[in-house]
Amino acid sequence: MTKKIPLSLQDSLFVGFCATLLVALTGMLRLKLGLSGHSMFLMSFFYLICYGVLGRFGSMTACGAIAGIVAMALGVGKGGPMILLKFALPAIAMDLVALLLPLSMNLHWRCVILGIAGCIAWAGKVALTNVLAGMALDVVLIQWGLSVLKGGFFATLGALLVPPVLTRLKAHDLLHRDKF
Amino acid sequence: MWASCRRLRALRHWSYERRETALCALSLLLVCVLSACAFVLPAALLLPLAGLNGLLVIHGLLRRGSIWGVLKLGLVQLSITLSLYLILYGVEHLAQGAVVVARIILATIPGWWLCITAAPERIGEVLSAFLPTKWAFVVAASLSLLPYMADEIREIYQIQCLRGARITPKALRNPKNWSELVYCVLFPVLIQLLKLSRQMAVAAQSRHFGLAQRPTHWHSSRDKND
Repeated sequence: MTKKIPLSLQDSLFVGFCATLLVALTGMLRLKLGLSGHSMFLMSFFYLICYGVLGRFGSMTACGAIAGIVAMALGVGKGGPMILLKFALPAIAMDLVALLLPLSMNLHWRCVILGIAGCIAWAGKVALTNVLAGMALDVVLIQWGLSVLKGGFFATLGALLVPPVLTRLKAHDLLHRDKF
Repeated sequence: MWASCRRLRALRHWSYERRETALCALSLLLVCVLSACAFVLPAALLLPLAGLNGLLVIHGLLRRGSIWGVLKLGLVQLSITLSLYLILYGVEHLAQGAVVVARIILATIPGWWLCITAAPERIGEVLSAFLPTKWAFVVAASLSLLPYMADEIREIYQIQCLRGARITPKALRNPKNWSELVYCVLFPVLIQLLKLSRQMAVAAQSRHFGLAQRPTHWHSSRDKND
C-alpha cells in the first residue's frame, strides 16, 4: 500500500491470469449449476487473492476490468457489453472500500467486509438495469435485497477461503510482502 | 511474377482481415446502441425495436445459436417481477411490469446475437485498440495461455486423484469434500500461476518489452500463407 511504483509486468500478468481463470471457471460452473449468485463466490475469491498478493489500490479494479474484457472476448454469458459492467462494478466497489478499512484489522474480517461490499455492488448492477427499465422502486428494492442475500452467502464463503490461501502462498515464499 | 502474386494474395488477406475487424467493431457499436435504446425509448416505440430484435433473433437462430438461455432468463424475471407487482400493486399494474421485463429482454437479445455472430478473438482485437500496450499484452497472453492452464489444472486434478484425494466426481456429491477440492487443486494452481507470471515477465523483459514507445507487432508467416 505504501509503494508508489507502477504495477510491474509480473504483477499485471498474475492479475490477468487470475481474471482469465475466474472467467473460465464461471463459464464452466454455469453449465453445472443453475443457481444465481454463485458467480459471486469465484469473483470475491479471485479479487481478494489479487488484493492479498499485490496489496495495492487498483489491483482489484484491474482484475475486474480484465475479467470483463476476457469474458466479452470468450463470449461467456449473454450480456454482451453489459458483462464488462458486471465484472468491473464489484471490483471498483471493493477497491474503494479497501481504502477505508484500517490495515490493522484482522485479515478474515477485512476479506468478509470486502466480499459483501462487492456483492452489494454486484446486486446494484441488476438494480440499476431494473431502474433504467422503469421498474417500480419497491420491486427493485425487494429484488435487490434478494440478490444481496443470495450473493452475500457465496461472497462470504469465497472471502473466508482467502486468508488460508495467502498464508500458504507466503509459506512457499511466493509473496514479496511481509504483512497482509 | 510469383513474388507479386504472393504479395497480392497477402494484401487481399490483410484487407479481408481489416474488413472483418471493422465489421465486428460496427456490430459492437450496434449492440451498444440497441441495448441503450431498450432502456431509453418510450413504450410506444418498443414495438419497432422488438421487430429489429426479432430480425437479430432469426439471424442468430440461422447461425445455429441456442436462444434457450435468454428465454429462461426472461421467464424467471417475468415470474418474479409479475408476482411482486401483483402483491404490491394489484392486477391493474401487471401490464406495467410486463413492459419492464420486455425492456430487459430487449436489452439482452443484442448481446446474445453478438456472442453468436462475432468471433470472440475478433472482439478481443477490437477491444485491444483501446487498451495501453502493457494491458493489451496481458489480455493476449492470458487468452492464449488458457489451453495451457486447462491442461495444468487437469494434470493437477488427476495427480491428486491418484494420491487419494476425495475429489472424484462421485466423492464431490458430498459437500463435506468440497473444501478438499480447494486445498488440493486451487492452491497448486495459484502457485503455478504465480510462477508462470514470473517466468513470462522475465521472458518478455529480456526481449526488451516495454522499452520502446511504439511496440512492433510480429505477424506469423503462417497466417499469410493460409
